[in-house]
Amino acid sequence: MKFKPTNTLALVALAALMALSAWLFLPIEEKITQGLDIKGGLSVTLTAEPLSGDELTEDTMGRIETILAERVNGFGVSEATVQRQGQSAFLVQLPGVKNAQEALELLGEPGKLEFVDMTSITDTATIELIARQLEAEYSDETTTLPKLDEGGYSAFMTGEVITDARITTDDFGNPAVSVEMNSAGAQTWGEVTSRLAPFQGQVMIALDGYAKSAPAVQTAILDGNTLISGSFTVEEARGLAATLQSGAVPANIDIDESRVVGPTLGKESLNQGLMAGLVGVALVAVFMIVYYRGLGLVSVVALFAYGVLMMGSLAILSRMNAFALTLPGIAGLILGIGVAADTSILIFERLQEEIDSGKTHRSAAKAAVRHAIATSIDADIVTLVSAVALYVLAIGPVRGFAFTLILGIVIDLIAALLFTGPVVRMLAEGAMVKAPAFWGVKGGDARG
Amino acid sequence: MLVAKTHVDFMGRKKYFFALSGALVAISILALLVKGLTFGVDFQGGTSMALTDAAGVTTEDVRGALEEAGVPDTANATIQPTDDGGYIVRTAESDTARAQEAFAAVVESLGLPEQDANVTTIGPGWGKSVTDASLIALAVSMVAIVIYISLRFEFKMSVSAVVALLHDAIIVLGVYAVSGREVTPNTIAAVLTILGYSLYDTIVVFHRIRENAAGLRKMSFMEMTNESINQVLMRWVNTGLIQVIPVLALFFFGGETLQDFAFAMAVGLLAAAYSTVGLASPLYAMLKEREPKFQALKRKYAAQAPR
Repeated sequence: MKFKPTNTLALVALAALMALSAWLFLPIEEKITQGLDIKGGLSVTLTAEPLSGDELTEDTMGRIETILAERVNGFGVSEATVQRQGQSAFLVQLPGVKNAQEALELLGEPGKLEFVDMTSITDTATIELIARQLEAEYSDETTTLPKLDEGGYSAFMTGEVITDARITTDDFGNPAVSVEMNSAGAQTWGEVTSRLAPFQGQVMIALDGYAKSAPAVQTAILDGNTLISGSFTVEEARGLAATLQSGAVPANIDIDESRVVGPTLGKESLNQGLMAGLVGVALVAVFMIVYYRGLGLVSVVALFAYGVLMMGSLAILSRMNAFALTLPGIAGLILGIGVAADTSILIFERLQEEIDSGKTHRSAAKAAVRHAIATSIDADIVTLVSAVALYVLAIGPVRGFAFTLILGIVIDLIAALLFTGPVVRMLAEGAMVKAPAFWGVKGGDARG
Repeated sequence: MLVAKTHVDFMGRKKYFFALSGALVAISILALLVKGLTFGVDFQGGTSMALTDAAGVTTEDVRGALEEAGVPDTANATIQPTDDGGYIVRTAESDTARAQEAFAAVVESLGLPEQDANVTTIGPGWGKSVTDASLIALAVSMVAIVIYISLRFEFKMSVSAVVALLHDAIIVLGVYAVSGREVTPNTIAAVLTILGYSLYDTIVVFHRIRENAAGLRKMSFMEMTNESINQVLMRWVNTGLIQVIPVLALFFFGGETLQDFAFAMAVGLLAAAYSTVGLASPLYAMLKEREPKFQALKRKYAAQAPR
């Protein structure tokens, strides 16, 4: 067997990619994010419906997203996510949530933004909780603190009065938040700030019972146009602006769909999926070896390489938070076994055909790999076109399915170009000529 | 390899294939019109909950417990026993929080051991939004496929491929109507993806037809098409088998949700494999034979080729 530089290079590249993949995805249960239907937890789809006469603007959707994200943080679940889906829907995922009932009630409520005069709070427990909540707000950790007790404070103003809130800079160029309010708000705000300004009393801003900020009033503000500044980072200022914007959301949020999956059921589904995958791979391997003999072995190794690269890609995507393995995803992966074996079949069949037509093994192998991969690319692109359309446009389970299929097609091509092709060409240089029966190829020119 | 060169006259039997396809499509459409599809909870809105460890509990006990928990329309709730001594209960409850309460109440009143909640609640609009989005995706992907095949190959090929694709889709839906299997968003996902994937072997055959058409002489286009199919026959059989094997494994070992995918995929793959040879290829050859260049070849060679 003579090693040609390009063939050797391809195999070395593949080995490096596989090693990288293995390093990325092991241990597999930590490196590949599991979806809710496997890990167990609560998944909710909510849709926003504009209040009568209003349009559902991008701005409104952004505000709702902020509210949902704030609430989800409040559940104290790690890895909770809020995702925009389509024009008006959000997918909220809470892995491992125990009290689904409470979570569902909270998610469906309209957002409640409150302004509270801190000097009016007398309950010491409430004051202490506010301090802890504010501290937690400026650390990045998810809070597990309880909500403020509604009896412990009373708001002088709620979020409806806010007409705009945006990030800006103060006179010294530091990040700040500018707020505008309607006339009713401006009036109340004027009264409160006039009272608090002389001793720089604090106003607490709370969203859904969680203190978000407690700026001290510097001057009486009579026109409502307020600048909140302080030792903000840009991130913090942006967060506060988003909180304030969420105050007046002109839309109702309805729960469209909710799924609670217990951890045992999810685990069971995963095991069944893995079982099905193993049986599928084993049967495909047996078929390939029985039918294609030695070349079948090559395709089994190709299948292994495909699997390793697939897992590696899923691990990278998991790390980027762009992927979670769901049951539809598993179905897509299992279908991918077929995709991967198909390309090998195209190469092997073409090889036999080229040999039958009287070519030497070497030139037959070259032609077979070239033609088969060209055919495979055309077929793959057509499949890709439809899978991409499904992934981009569809909602719900279609996407997970389409995604793994897309990935499967791409990785299959890489495996064919870097492994099956080069190996077939290398075998044709010698091994195939010496033992055609073992490699499952008949005839050909023995001068090879 | 094991099978010797074949010479099956597929194109000579195209009338039978067309008749078979026509019959299958007609039966499917009839079944869809008469019997219709059975839509899962995702399309009607409602709640599906799983009860486990319910040995000794009867369906009537479950119905009674549902009634007690204040679930609406319990008379029409479906209560299915599972293989492992539990129940799958489907009710009309479409409020998510109330469904959770009902689950807890039912578990308590039946005296079942404490268990993980597996409760799915779907608002009435969900199934429709999934289906609408999927149909848009399907339409866009078909247009994209037509454009790609037209550019890379030719328009007549894309027409044949898309006709075969629609044929497959109708048959899969027909199988669902006839068997009464529940249609879920998963089913729709599987069918749509399979339709795209099913073009794979159609393209493999078309690739070969195009290759052979380049130097076409002394043979009608139809014969050449038949020749091409025979040339790639083992490829067609083997890729088909290799695609179906893992899907069947999924069907037998995959558990409820995955079985749902596997069934739709298996039917789709089989229909697709058949329609490549039985529909897409002869249709394409017929379209081509209307071109003057190939008409001449047909007149000259078609008659003298008895196989």
